[in-house]
Amino acid sequence: MRAARATLAFAALLVSLVSAPAGAGDLLPVSARGAAAGGATWVGTPPPGGAKRIVTLAPSMTDYLVALGAAGRIVGVTRVDHAPEVADRPRVGGFLDPSPEAVLGLKPDLVLWVTDGGALSAVRKLAELSAGRFAILAIPVITVADVPAAAKLVGEALGDPAGGAALATRLQGSLDRLKAQASGRPRRRVLFVVGRDPLVVAGPGSFPDELLRLAGCDNAVGGSRAWPVYPLELAVASNPDLVIDAAFDEPAAGISRLAAIPAVRRGDVARLPRDDLLRAGPRMIEALGDLEQALARSPAGATPPAGAPPR
Amino acid sequence: MNGPQRTRLVVALALGLLAIVAAVAASCLLGPQPVSLRAALDGVEPDRAILIGLRLPRAVLAALVGFALAGAGTALQALLRNPLAEPFVLGVSGGAALGGTIVLLAAAGLSAVSGPAGALLGAAPPVAFGAVLGAVLSTFLVFGLGRIGGRLVPEAALLVGIVFNAFVAGVITLLKMLAPPDQAARLLYWLMGAIGYESGSTLAVGAVLVFLSIGTLGLLSARLNLLTLGDEEAASLGVDVRRTRALVFFAASAATGAAVALAGMVGFVGLIVPHLVRRLVGPDHRLLLPASALFGAAFLVAADALARLAFLPLGTEPPVGAVTAFLGGPFFLWLLRRQAREHDEAAT
Repeated sequence: MRAARATLAFAALLVSLVSAPAGAGDLLPVSARGAAAGGATWVGTPPPGGAKRIVTLAPSMTDYLVALGAAGRIVGVTRVDHAPEVADRPRVGGFLDPSPEAVLGLKPDLVLWVTDGGALSAVRKLAELSAGRFAILAIPVITVADVPAAAKLVGEALGDPAGGAALATRLQGSLDRLKAQASGRPRRRVLFVVGRDPLVVAGPGSFPDELLRLAGCDNAVGGSRAWPVYPLELAVASNPDLVIDAAFDEPAAGISRLAAIPAVRRGDVARLPRDDLLRAGPRMIEALGDLEQALARSPAGATPPAGAPPR
Repeated sequence: MNGPQRTRLVVALALGLLAIVAAVAASCLLGPQPVSLRAALDGVEPDRAILIGLRLPRAVLAALVGFALAGAGTALQALLRNPLAEPFVLGVSGGAALGGTIVLLAAAGLSAVSGPAGALLGAAPPVAFGAVLGAVLSTFLVFGLGRIGGRLVPEAALLVGIVFNAFVAGVITLLKMLAPPDQAARLLYWLMGAIGYESGSTLAVGAVLVFLSIGTLGLLSARLNLLTLGDEEAASLGVDVRRTRALVFFAASAATGAAVALAGMVGFVGLIVPHLVRRLVGPDHRLLLPASALFGAAFLVAADALARLAFLPLGTEPPVGAVTAFLGGPFFLWLLRRQAREHDEAAT
């Protein structure tokens, strides 16, 4: 009987622990809203007069600072950051596993983070330790509209709101151009490939999916997942008009692995020259130019539409 | 407990505590960032934040997880009467991981409907509850299916555990497909068995669970001695075998569940540590259980420091689960061969 009572007491304790308050997570509430809808979060107060020592926890944040002429204020980046402007800066771990210790060691006054579940616990730890030392700006970049919004936020954090607003206007302008050009083009079904083995594609809810829709195209990928590992059979059955090959790490010739897709056999494949279209940041301006070129491609064997750039 | 036994217990516990202090000190003083203890104590930043805010809580987390896993491993070995029994090998960690995963995914699903409710469900206590429940259920499954003709057969239970682990790995992979990508990344990192940076409240919840469950096992350690003699012998010596076993099951599962909720699947700690400690203090569980738990804490703190430092030039760190598996896999096979050899020698 004693054992049974002890077991019951133990279970009761477990239940009472479950009903305990959530705790320190409240320091950095992660919003489901994007930056454009006011979902960005400041931990601490923005450095007065603009941040001078900045650690960026995502390459796209580095891109914003470079675009705003503030590369010199960056004191640390992640090891996945390959921007030439920060080649000599100390690394603070990865995009998904930043090292709080390395960040603290650099004595920043601002940490810029694109909210991402993988790094959440490390950044929460940083938030706990940031009081009175540095601020954290957490920017959720979920939709295309968040990209210009983030430019404004970063500009304000730098003490350069006018620069941020100008960059936001340029980014918005490139999006408007993409939309405007869509009207002169036949609507096409596009398969956006980011990995070939296994086949990984941009599905609904992903950044390229939204850009494709803005450009007046249909995503050949259905379902509900943003980056599904996609059955090749479904890719064949979806019969896209065009395949955009964004598998940058893999050699261009490897697309022949997907030859079962009729568009690949016909040669209706546009390879993007860089990974900028997957980086939701200022590089989007050049990236949208690449996308324009890819979409302006005529189907194999047809006459190119007037004004299409040669490939 | 007589006089000499009490002395040995005190010496073993003192050595265990000393090992923890040494491991925590080493873990706090070694790291990618050069820091000074004096500066930290004087409140100089960032030394203070790094030492007190980052390295110390991380060492405490590793110590809690090691304490729980080594204690649970010792108890499971007594129940199964086999030194190969261990929470990870027996699938108890796998069951806990599945329980925790289901809660985390439910939280992700709930977030879509109501953000605050999802955050509440995804916090430490509900995840720990899911993990403990998963661990308890899998322990009963493994030990239930490990019985042949009404008798617990250690080899059968181990085999059931191994198959259950493979099954759980598959189910978790399937569940991961349903999670949004950022949740899946978080899940993967947790499952790998990584000592991360948990909040103070999470550590507190974990500590309460771990100390209660290992404390319960400590109180049962005299009866564990009798259980290792066999069920009939133990019953003839006045032990309520079924109740005792159920309680040990429950406490060992709760300890494992708490460890998994805190740090994911860190394997083989419950195998390596009790074996080495048994060589030091002998088979008496009144000594072995607390000493194993303490040395388990020191072991995992040291393993985590090793994980942090080994890959420093690459600017990254492997999860501590990879380090313990690297050490524990060969150790398991060595134990298995040694058992076989002893068996052969006994037969001739």
